[in-house]
Parts: sequence; structure tokens; C-alpha cells
Amino acid sequence: MTTPLLEVVGVTKRFGGLSALNDLSFDVAEGEIVSIIGPNGAGKSTVFNVITGLYPPDDGDVRLRGETVVGLAPNRITRAGIARTFQTVHLFANMTVLENAMVGQHCRSTAGVFGSILRTPRVRKEEETIRERAEESLGFFGSRLAGYRQDQPAFMLSYANRRRLEMARALATDPAIVLLDEPTAGMNPRETLELRDHIVRMRDELGLTVLVIEHDMRVVKGVSDRVVACDYGRKIAEGTYDEVANDEQVIEAYLGRRHEELG
Amino acid sequence: MRSAVRVGTSAGIVTIFLAAVGLIGNFTNLNLIGDQVTFAGLMLLIAPLIAGYVVTAPRVESGSIVRVDRGRAAILGAVTGLVAGSVFAAFVVFVEVFGVERIRAIFINISPALMDFLVGERPVPVAAAILVAIALAAGVAGAVYRVLPDAIRKPVGSAVWVTLLFGFLQRIVPIALDQLDIERDWLYSKLTGGLTWVGAVVVALVAAGVSVLKDRRGDAIRRAVAGRRSRQAEGPRVTPLSVAIALAGLAVVLIAPHVVGSVISEVLGTVMVFALLGLGLNIVVGYAGLLDLGYVFFFTLGAYSLALLTGATLNTFVGSTEPAIALGLNFYVAIPVVVLIAALSGVLIGAPVLRLRGDYLALVTLGLGEMIVVLVTSPWLEPLVGGPNGMRDITDAAIGNFGFRDPKHFYYLAFAFVALALFVSFRLANSRVGRAWTALREDEQVADAMGVSTTAYKLLAFAMGGAVGSIGGALFAVKIGSLTPASFTVLVSIQVLGIVILGGIGSLPGVLTGTLVLVGLPGLLREFEEYRLLAYGAALVAVMLLRPQGLVPNVRRSRELQEEDREQDKWASDTAADEHVAAAASPLGESAG
Repeated sequence: MTTPLLEVVGVTKRFGGLSALNDLSFDVAEGEIVSIIGPNGAGKSTVFNVITGLYPPDDGDVRLRGETVVGLAPNRITRAGIARTFQTVHLFANMTVLENAMVGQHCRSTAGVFGSILRTPRVRKEEETIRERAEESLGFFGSRLAGYRQDQPAFMLSYANRRRLEMARALATDPAIVLLDEPTAGMNPRETLELRDHIVRMRDELGLTVLVIEHDMRVVKGVSDRVVACDYGRKIAEGTYDEVANDEQVIEAYLGRRHEELG
Repeated sequence: MRSAVRVGTSAGIVTIFLAAVGLIGNFTNLNLIGDQVTFAGLMLLIAPLIAGYVVTAPRVESGSIVRVDRGRAAILGAVTGLVAGSVFAAFVVFVEVFGVERIRAIFINISPALMDFLVGERPVPVAAAILVAIALAAGVAGAVYRVLPDAIRKPVGSAVWVTLLFGFLQRIVPIALDQLDIERDWLYSKLTGGLTWVGAVVVALVAAGVSVLKDRRGDAIRRAVAGRRSRQAEGPRVTPLSVAIALAGLAVVLIAPHVVGSVISEVLGTVMVFALLGLGLNIVVGYAGLLDLGYVFFFTLGAYSLALLTGATLNTFVGSTEPAIALGLNFYVAIPVVVLIAALSGVLIGAPVLRLRGDYLALVTLGLGEMIVVLVTSPWLEPLVGGPNGMRDITDAAIGNFGFRDPKHFYYLAFAFVALALFVSFRLANSRVGRAWTALREDEQVADAMGVSTTAYKLLAFAMGGAVGSIGGALFAVKIGSLTPASFTVLVSIQVLGIVILGGIGSLPGVLTGTLVLVGLPGLLREFEEYRLLAYGAALVAVMLLRPQGLVPNVRRSRELQEEDREQDKWASDTAADEHVAAAASPLGESAG
């Protein structure tokens, strides 16, 4: 078997005495869409923060294409090919929609101080490429982020569009794998369905690998090749959607124990 | 009505304050128009006038805006003025009864000259009544101004302030007119120093006329200048008119020193030096969002390193000696070295404070700024930079025989560097680098997660800001020709930060405006030298309260401030028990009407 694209190996993360992640391991193969599910507080977002370098793990390893990324600064990890969105939308609210996406291209470009001041032909060309790439990733969401909206400051966008812009910004970093943290949170049913298609298209059209944290089971069912279920920072089940959905432990984690078992 | 009494009392107290700091008593002979309108008289009027204007502001009541009608406005203004006048008159009577000399022992500006102006030969009750009447009239005037229809209000307003401005510029405009060989005696009186009445009327009419024209034809004029802005085009289209205006502006800037004379050229030179400092700090604070309270560091570094590199000598009691290291480079060779040193120092300063944000960063930079003053004063560096005695014989940056120490010449040297700094700032702001800085300022953690190296870009901001600021320091050294540590205090840091904030953080026109207001005006109005810091503080407080985005704001920055407002609005509406309270709590102001 070839090396998976992303490997999370025995990661433990403690906050004070609380173990947010406890010896968690899973991996994501190239071209796969994997969902992480679990009740609130299961440590799902913490996994993302550890993978993207926001928190260093206390133990364990995170590898991209077999090479560890633990200890790298978040911006280096992004450059290595891991892009993400945030559970609560974090845009550069006062930059325009286009500028937000252009920041995503930052790690794929090189213009420095002198180039920027002199505006050399090379820098001008690069700036043009940055803009094109940014527009392309905004274009992934069809007309939603196109046209006049590109020049609006991000804070003027609707909630759903903010989420889309965050994804577009992540796509603009030209990643190998995208980490989506509850992308449908706060969206209405129609927007949720639309987004489900977008996630599938990310793989089919852009050739990306996707790791997604999701609460909406219709989305999880619709997109996932595999599902990883967590509770209390531990992996409690892994497999296809059907396998995981019927797993005793998963049902218990979501619904609690049955009365008679509690005694 | 209660607010009229309250505001009126404040206005009376403000007038007492103005008298106590000497802004009335010391300026009874500063004539603005004829010999009737003096600065002292203006100071008597100003507080009740503003109070009358304030007290008639529209209020929010039960969620709707209540405007004051004319009759009521006049009454409110009268009451306000009456109260203000009474408070001040009571003070004058008190001083008269208690004895000027006894009070003067503590408040040195409450002088016989002041009392002479306020009371004079008149019996005390009459004098008090006159003061009350003046304040009352001012209060009514302020209130009436508020309720006038816009078509009258705007021309009247601009006529008044432009005329007063010309009155203030009595040391500058006549000199300029003389230099241009334009007859000036009809405008400014040689006898009183201020405007003549004829001149004042002409100025007022012109100002009012321009205001009317701007109101009626403003949009058409703006369109003609800027050209129609199309979304695809990069910025405004170039029209012949805009080119003509730009060229005319450039011509004015270029011939300015020859028109305004040496004294004002000197002031303009100082303005240029501070503009450079402002532009440098703007990169750090405005672009990257790092609050630096120790910017004097780079100013000092630039000045001293230029002095050392170009072979200045050390001051001693008997004359001068060579420093321990004497290089004797040409100014134009030394400047790139100075810039390089400053950029490297920026990185060195930046490195230890990388993890700090906001208040903590400000405190540490404040300390670093103090350190350099201690360093240049220390015995340890005395053989190098002269310690407390400082250095002298600094190069005048001559090209051939053309030296730049002369204020008129220095202006051009400084202007060249300011233009360069503007160019650099502008290009950086609109580039990949500027975008990274903006992202960093907006949200450091997210910028990091999106692939922007926060470490690199913070250090870069310090380096670039330091480099620009050091040129300011180097030019300061050239301008003065000698250096003492006394010129390099925390006050410089604060002044430059004031420039950036007043003008509008992150805005290049803002930095220039801020410098003109905070450095240029005090330099021109030498009579007010003593009051410089007072005015400085007052200006900053006023701007922060009334126009927190600065005089010429950066669009994005003002959005950031509005965002805070929005959040407060949201908070207000979330927490308010009913919508009436929410409406009253939200800063609707006048714009909502």
C-alpha cells in the first residue's frame, strides 16, 4: 500500500488535566473524502488545530506524504499543502472578497519588498497570476462570489457566502488536502445541499483530498468515502457511513446509554 | 432646558480656563480683523458659541429624531449663553473683589492686562453685564447657526472660518504676497497686523461664493476632475483637467520656499522631516498594525549614524574633537548605509517583541525608545557620539557647492525624500507585501494559517518603518547641523504617533495632513508656542471623539472602526430591554436623519 496523503498517528493533546485528544490515529488517502463526526467536545476541532500547527501535540505525529509536519509554523504547513477553514468564520473582514482569496495565494508567490516597490515585470506578472488564481477559486462557487461581490469588503457578505469565501480562500492556497470545519453550520437546507455538491466537486474537479468535520448526517452520508467517529478525544469507530452509523458505541455517544444499561 | 444650564456652565468654566492659561490676556493685541476683532475677543466668544451649537443638537427620543425648532433654539442658545456669561462674569467679579495680584500669585496668567481687557475703566457691574451680554449673543448665534437652512448655513460657516483663518495667517499671507509683488495693503493692515475690514469682507464673500458653487456644482466639478470611474479601470481615469491640477499642485509645492520666505521654509523643512517619520511609523502602525511607542529610536539612530558616517565632530567645552571612529563619507553614500543600519536594527528590535501584541508591544517599544536616549547620553558611547554635549559640524549634504543647510534649499532635499517615501509606501501598500500586512493586522492567527509568515512580515514592517524613519533622522541632522540628546525624547515618538492617528491610520494623505496640522500650524503660529502641547492634546481628544478614523481616513481603517461601532450597536440592541432604549443607545447621530 502506498503512503497515505495525511497520517495522524497516536496524537495526544492535553489542556491542563483535560485530554482533548487521546492517542488518536487515522489517515486519509489521496483523493479520499473523510468525515470526522462526534458529539460536541469530542475534540474534532482540536484535531484540525493540531494538524495545521496551531497547537503542538503533546504526543504523536502528523505526517503529510510521509513527512512530519509537527513543529512547523502554521504558514509552513499551509505551504506544504494543508489548507483549512474555521468552525467560526474567520475572514479578513475589511479586505475585499477578492483580496481575501488573494491572501490565499500568498504562499504560492514570492514578490518581496524590492520587487513590490519597483514593480518589475516579473512581479507584475505574478500579481496577475495571483489575481487569476483567486478569481478562479472564487469562481468555484459559481455566481455566488462573482461579479460586483468581489470588490465588496468581506463583512458585507451573507453568512453562507462568508463560509463559501473561507473555502475559496483555502482553495486559493493550492492545497493537496482541505480541512473543512463544519462547513454547513448555520446554513439553510438548500445551501447545505449545494455545499454537499461542492465538497464532492472539490475532489472530482479539483482533484483535492478533503477532511471534513460535519454534524449534518445527510452531508456526511452524501460525501464520505470513510467516516471517523470520535468521542472524548478517542476514535470510537471508523469505516463506511453505514458501518459507523450502526456502531453501538457511536449511537451511545450521540444518544447516551439506554436506561436499562445504566441500571 | 436643564441641558442648556449644564452646557452653559461648562462653557463658562471653559472660558475661565482659557483666561487662566493666558489665551485671553496675552492676546489682546493680536488683531485678526481691524483692531476690533482680536484673538482675545474670539476666545471670549468661542465657548458660548460652541455651547449654543451643541445644546440645540437633535436628540433621539423614543426611537425618533427630534429636531429643535427655530424659536426654541434661540431660547436654548440664549439660556446657554446667559449661564456661560454669568459663570464667567462671576469669576471676573470675584477676581476684581479679591484682588488680581493675590490670585496672580498662583495663576500667573490672570494678569492686570487681562482684567484691563475684561473690565477696563468701566464700573465692575457694567463690565460684568457686558460680558454676560457678549456670551448671550454668542450662545444665540451658535444656536441659530444650527437651525439655519443649509443653503445659508454652509456659506456663512465657511465665510466665518476662512476669514478667521486669513486673520491667523497674517504672518504668512502678506509675506507671500510681497514676494509675488502683489499689492497687499488693502487686505492686511500694516497698522493692526490683521485683516482690514475691506479685506475681511472680500475674503468672506469669496469663501461664501466658493461654498455656494461647491454645493450647486460640486458633483459636476468632481466628475470633470476625476473622470468617470469604471469598475474595470485601475483607479480613476486621467483627464486633462486632473493632469492640470496635479501639475499646478506640483508647481506650487516646488516654488513654495521662494514665495513664503526663509522663516516659513524652515517650518516646512521641519514638516518634511516629521512627514518622513510619520510615513515610516505608518508602515509599522498603519499597515502592519503593530503599535510602536518607541519610534524615536529610529529617528535618533538615523541622525547619529549619519553624523558618524559623514565625519561630524564631537562638541567639547573648548571646541570640537574627532570622534573615536571618523569615516567622512559623502552624504549620498552614507544615506544607504544609514537606511541599512536602521533596517537591521528594526529586525533586532522586532525579534524580541514578536510574540507581543497590542498593549504589551506598546510598552516594550516605549522602553526601547527610551534606551537609545540613555545610550547616546552615556559615558560609554561618549567618545563616539559626544554624550550629553552631542555632535557638530554635520555635513550639509552639498552637491558641488550647493549646500542644503539653508532652509530654502533644505526644503528641496527633504521634499525629494518625502516623495520617495510616499512612492515606496504606496507601492508597498498595493502589493503582495501590503496584502500580507493587512491580513496580519486584521487577524494574525488566521493570516498565519493562510500561509503568511507572521514572523517575517512583522520584522519586515519594523525594518521598513525603521528605514524610512532613519532618513527623517538623517535629514534632521543635516538641517540642524548639530545634535544633542535633548532633541531625542519620548515626545518625538508621541508626536509622530499623533500625526499618524490624527491624519488617519494607514492613509498617506492622512500622514501629510496630520503633519501639516500638528507640526506645520504650531510652527507658523509662533505666538502660540507655549500652548503647543495644550493644543496638541486638545486636537487629539477632539479627533478621537468626533472623527476617530482620522482627518483623511484610509477606507479600510475606517471600516474597522465602524465594525467596532456595529458590534457595540449589536450589543446595545441585544441587551436593551425594549427597542426604545436600544434606539437611544445606538449612536444614530445626525446622519440617520
